[in-house]
Amino acid sequence: MQPMKGPIAVLRRLSVAAFAVAGACGMVTDSNGAERVKTSAPIAIEGDASPRPWTRYPGWTTRNFSGFNSLASTASPPVALQPRKLDGPIVGDPAIGRQLVADRRRGGSCLACHIMGTAGNADLPGNVGPDLSEIGNAGRDDEWLFNYVFDPRVYNPETIMPPWGTHGVFNDSEIGHIVAFLKTLKEPARFASALDDPRKRPTPEEKRDNLDPLVNPGMWAVEKAQELWKTPGPNGSSCVSCHANPEAELKTWAASMPYWEPRLHKVLGVEEFVTRHAKATTGQVFLMQSDENTALAVYLRYLANGTPIHLDQTSAEAREAYSRGMALTTRKIGQLNVSCADCHSPDKGGLKWVRGQWLGQLRGQLDHFPTWRTSQQSVWDIRKRFQWCNVAIGADDLPPDAKEYGDLEFYLAAQNDGLKLNVPGIRH
Amino acid sequence: MDMAEQPRIKLPGQARKGEIIEIKTLVSHAMENGLRRDQNGVTIPRKIINRFVCEFNGQLVFSCDLDTAVAANPYLQFFAKVEEDGTFRFSWTDDDGSTLTAEEKIIVTA
Repeated sequence: MQPMKGPIAVLRRLSVAAFAVAGACGMVTDSNGAERVKTSAPIAIEGDASPRPWTRYPGWTTRNFSGFNSLASTASPPVALQPRKLDGPIVGDPAIGRQLVADRRRGGSCLACHIMGTAGNADLPGNVGPDLSEIGNAGRDDEWLFNYVFDPRVYNPETIMPPWGTHGVFNDSEIGHIVAFLKTLKEPARFASALDDPRKRPTPEEKRDNLDPLVNPGMWAVEKAQELWKTPGPNGSSCVSCHANPEAELKTWAASMPYWEPRLHKVLGVEEFVTRHAKATTGQVFLMQSDENTALAVYLRYLANGTPIHLDQTSAEAREAYSRGMALTTRKIGQLNVSCADCHSPDKGGLKWVRGQWLGQLRGQLDHFPTWRTSQQSVWDIRKRFQWCNVAIGADDLPPDAKEYGDLEFYLAAQNDGLKLNVPGIRH
Repeated sequence: MDMAEQPRIKLPGQARKGEIIEIKTLVSHAMENGLRRDQNGVTIPRKIINRFVCEFNGQLVFSCDLDTAVAANPYLQFFAKVEEDGTFRFSWTDDDGSTLTAEEKIIVTA
């Protein structure tokens, strides 16, 4: 169940825009035509498409990450430039270190990315970073080990490892315990089963029939949307008034989304388009990530299932959105100081395991959204997935209609060019 | 988003006399098991579907009690032998006493 976010007052701020071009409703034919229709379809220009101030979902961490970069702001502590000099040898307790490296409350901790010999070796270590099971034989001194945990950028500016000390995840004495534990690691890890060894764990593959309503509860969104389609809004009209035959008319539309919207100077995805178009036409207010908005967003993509994703990038503005989106994927954010590419690019952490979770690459991450999440028992749109990702790495989430998410979705969609829509998906 | 309230039933619209048919049912329910706590540490009260019944023309076909270990959105699949035209009636009973029902007809050929 999604909580209703924000007061009704927010809804009122969405005022109806001018109807830019008469008779622009519906009728999407070819890709050029689609672009023309999109940028002339009536949309509400004023106001936000989600509540302000945006409040994080209940049940997600309540920690404030404003001291770190987000996709919209720069706030992280300065990068350490030099290794810290230690006064003497590290005094630490390997037993405490052993617990700290497996502490899931600390950003997933070390085991999220490293195999570490006997430490929690039945507890799904990841393999984004090197196997540290024999680091105790590597001849590294205390100062090197301490600094590599405190802020590895002093040795390797390109690293994707979080600066645990500089970003305050572990304090000096905790890092001391971790170093003491690292020095005890001198034997290859032994695993009870192949599932425990991230190098042998089989790659997850989604094979369920996601369009069978008995398999995928997300399909219920389609039914809900079909009802909404014919429900009149405050203006007395409904979706049907202009789109009487959505199966034929909108057979490809969603596969060309998101798009650059010159009237708003931002990228609009299906979800924000639904909010603004419904407001301007039927008068309904379907804020992004409301049940109604998500149902319609599922339905609109469902209608275009089987159509290859393909964006119109002919305009200079669209190409600029693409470039901004690409830049965002390499932006280091959050307390863990990682970028999208750090986890999802195959030359970095992509196609590897972080703990028991597989890090997919960007291609293949959009064609099934919005998707039913079995672990959440609800349908999430791609923007909510962005928000969840942000919070998971210790970065403040943005409102779903943030322009940064628009640029990111644009770039992501371009990486998924040619993949056929298959919505609603079903995933963990 | 959450799901609709309408249960899902899948069974063939027609069958031969004496045929054993497969019936699939799915219903939207949180199946709150009464063991979880909210953010203030207060226990979230139990609210589950505790009983499912399937009848055919008034005769019991299949029933079961569900308990707290059953996951959200209970999915049940079972078989029935059909000898005559008729109506399957399904009911799911909630802890709060309310009942969700659904019906499906089947035509039996010789």
